[in-house]
Amino acid sequence: MINLIVIAISAIMLALLLVWWRWPALRAWIEAPKYSMLRQERRFDAQLNETRTRNELFVDGGHA
Amino acid sequence: MTTSAQNLSSGSERANAQSLSALPSIEYDLVRAHVFASLVTLVISVLFGILVATKFTFPEFLGGHGWLTWGRLRYNHTQGIFFGWLGNAFLAFFYYVVPRLANRPVLSRRLGWFLFWIWNFAVVLPGWVLVVAGFSQPLEWAEFPLIVDAFVVLAFILMVFEFVLPFLKARLSDLYVSAWYIIGGITFTMLAYPVGNLVPELVPGARGAAFSGLWIHDAVGLFVTPFAVAIAYYVIPATTRRAIFSHFLSMVGFWLLFFIYPLNGTHHYVYSAIPMAAQKGAIVASAYLGMDVILVVTNLLLSLRGSSGTVSKDLPLRFVWFGVVSYLLVSLQGSVQALMPVNRFIHFTDWVIGHSHFAMIGFASFIALGGIAHLWQRIPGTRYNERMMNWSFWLLAVGLTLMVTDLTIAGLVEAQVWQSSAPWIDSVRAVGSYWLVRTLSGLPVLAGFVLFWTSLVTGPRLSEAITSDISRVASEDIVAFESASLPSDKLSSTGWLSYAHVVAFGAGVGFFALSFLVLAILPGKELEDEIKRVAPVTMPTLTASEQGGRVIYGREGCAYCHTQQIRSLAADVRRFGTPTEPWETKYDYPQLWGTRRIGPDLSREFNLHPRDWQLTHLYNPRLVVRDSVMPPYPWLFDGSPGQPTQEGLDVLAYIQSLGRARQLSGFDRQTLASSVQLETPDMAMASEPSARATPPAVPIAMVGGYSLSAPVLHPALDPADLQEEVSRGGMLFAANCASCHGSAGRGDGNASASLLPKPANLTAARFSDERLSSVLWNGVAGSAMPPWRQLPTEDLRGLVAYIHSLHLPSAAPSMQEATNLNVGKSLFAANCASCHGDTGAGNGPAAGALSPSPTNFHLKKPTPERAWDVLENGVPGTAMPPWRSQLSADQRRTLVEFVRSLYGAPQENSGQ
Repeated sequence: MINLIVIAISAIMLALLLVWWRWPALRAWIEAPKYSMLRQERRFDAQLNETRTRNELFVDGGHA
Repeated sequence: MTTSAQNLSSGSERANAQSLSALPSIEYDLVRAHVFASLVTLVISVLFGILVATKFTFPEFLGGHGWLTWGRLRYNHTQGIFFGWLGNAFLAFFYYVVPRLANRPVLSRRLGWFLFWIWNFAVVLPGWVLVVAGFSQPLEWAEFPLIVDAFVVLAFILMVFEFVLPFLKARLSDLYVSAWYIIGGITFTMLAYPVGNLVPELVPGARGAAFSGLWIHDAVGLFVTPFAVAIAYYVIPATTRRAIFSHFLSMVGFWLLFFIYPLNGTHHYVYSAIPMAAQKGAIVASAYLGMDVILVVTNLLLSLRGSSGTVSKDLPLRFVWFGVVSYLLVSLQGSVQALMPVNRFIHFTDWVIGHSHFAMIGFASFIALGGIAHLWQRIPGTRYNERMMNWSFWLLAVGLTLMVTDLTIAGLVEAQVWQSSAPWIDSVRAVGSYWLVRTLSGLPVLAGFVLFWTSLVTGPRLSEAITSDISRVASEDIVAFESASLPSDKLSSTGWLSYAHVVAFGAGVGFFALSFLVLAILPGKELEDEIKRVAPVTMPTLTASEQGGRVIYGREGCAYCHTQQIRSLAADVRRFGTPTEPWETKYDYPQLWGTRRIGPDLSREFNLHPRDWQLTHLYNPRLVVRDSVMPPYPWLFDGSPGQPTQEGLDVLAYIQSLGRARQLSGFDRQTLASSVQLETPDMAMASEPSARATPPAVPIAMVGGYSLSAPVLHPALDPADLQEEVSRGGMLFAANCASCHGSAGRGDGNASASLLPKPANLTAARFSDERLSSVLWNGVAGSAMPPWRQLPTEDLRGLVAYIHSLHLPSAAPSMQEATNLNVGKSLFAANCASCHGDTGAGNGPAAGALSPSPTNFHLKKPTPERAWDVLENGVPGTAMPPWRSQLSADQRRTLVEFVRSLYGAPQENSGQ
């Protein structure tokens, strides 16, 4: 049991390290999601900011 | 929010939705609903927890009714945290983040509300009600009854449609790590939940325990951890506006977690009857898990590089940061606790409880709170009270630190007492003050949660734009990435990498299946073979009454304080007897092994305590054990310990059946005499000297055993030393003996009303040192008097000295002196010798069959009043009958004088 777990985990880690080391293109590919997440976050923040700005204008205008 | 404001807000939201139609919509109403539900259930669950903790210090508190008993509230505490608080918090986060990560809305708003109602009104609320009403499942993290489990599984299936389908529809080739954790957590929990909740009902005993162990850890590893880490991986970059340090490392951490976590489960049963290969595999997996967490936390903390100012200023991020640091500490702690040299001492102690609170509050709850606070600031029209949330953070941090530290120390104290030969109750006494501190530490935690809730509904309505200086850096990050992203495009065009996630997901499912294979199915097969090979041919099943008692035992949460597994460890064997064999549990549906000990293990309860003691103890434990913290169960009685209901009798029957098969089958004698080989401990067990050793004939807890090695304890002759011994004995008597014998030793303690035979009136007889030593060492078979040989010799000597001091020299007897002892001798020979022996040494022909044994008058000299009373009324609960109808008053007086004259006479064979 121990051997099975140790060999399996070690093999996976070794394979990942080898791929990482030998294939620079993969690094760029696998890092891509962290940037797309930020881009998406900026879009939603822009939407929220616009909402809040409109709300303020609308409420202020309504009461002015 | 006023109605007009709501209209303005929603109208504005609609306008924005039109202007930014490219963005998927977010179901803010569902986010708000789940946030609200999470905080309501959180506060209720914490209140359950505080009630449970309070009962350790005040066991009678709200203890008169089954609905409020410790066990049921304990079930609701953990299930409420799991489903009510964390479940709703995670769902709120999913509704917020899935549209952002998938760039698609969740599948259906209507389905969302259906899921909300199922989760809260078909799972949490009815689960709570059913548990306090007595319908539950005595399995850790699976306490809600099976009918509720069906709705949980349905809810997870709905979650797949609601949250996983949008990702699949989007066909994203670059899923962010949080999305992976959400998909993985939902999918694997959906698969693991029925196995962990249903299989132990179908697979008994040790084999079922292997599955239970899996789920105990899968509940944390596949539900709590992935979703909490998903929040951390989202909130950190979303707040700092910088990409995480490495998405590659985050994916390595993700897959290692899903590969390794399911393999951890059996580390809850180290040194148990489960095959050692499975135990060791789980321990190794636990070590790997620690390494994985180091990797994940390193990646998360490196993602905060240069953002220390933001951590201190941004409260949601500060919550998440605290949770991430706790994640590291609690995971390393768990890995250490699983190691055999540590586990042998600390398993079942409060340190494990401290560990789980550290995980559920310090790690999961802090991150969930951070996630809620983060998304709350980004929901249109919400209020936010920063000052109150800051108070919430510090109250939670202080309360948690106090609680975890306190429980850690309490666990170490318990571990130390358990290694000694001190009575079990000494471990309860030793940590009493720690339990009080734990209860008090729950108050700031509760206050912190309430303030957090308050901070979301008070304060100014949020209107500031979500921007920060760091966002410029993020933009630079993105620009730099996009300009260098050609290799990635090239990779995608090769095609096969687009299937990498599918391959990885398949591998995850494979490891998940592997965990069941190597930790449950294969060990289960091995156990099944061993049971067939070594189980006694005749093993009685439980009677209907015992089976009914077993259900009540589970319903009341008894297994959460009393284990039914004696581990192959010196301390366990010495205290409770031979280690539990798998075959002993072959009729246990579901297993009741337990994972914690507040009270002693009950595996060998058969013949351990008499019926009257058990009933008195069930009715109110403190009647017989002054410092017990066990809850009372008056609803199993009709007003007094002597009047148990059928349910009370069922519980009694079940408890008294525990260990019966082992004792009646003569299994241990046969095993020693034959060549049958049980699964032999391996090298790891070789370090445990008693694992192979023959257990003592009479374990510490055994009542009524007899040992020839009983020493004769003589009090000191020096008056000063004697006084010191009497003083020491007095304190011990008050703590251990007064419940039955009364504070003055008159046999009128609180328990005496329901014990038969009655506890001895120690003032009404003079006992020899030999007699007292024997009783203290061996107990009195056939009575509730247990042996106290586990006490140090000096304590036993002090008790002997103190009991001597209780005897009040009787005034001259009021009765007429009987002068002819020869007449008394003749009367004794004719009427008493068959039991008490010719010489009054308690060794007559009938004595061997009597329990308690007849009095040895060479070692005990009753006062004339006591001897007269016995002859008049007999001794209820023993074979001693009243003699007033058979003997005249003169004859009885003569006998009184005769038996008193025997004290101190030389004896050839006094018996016991």
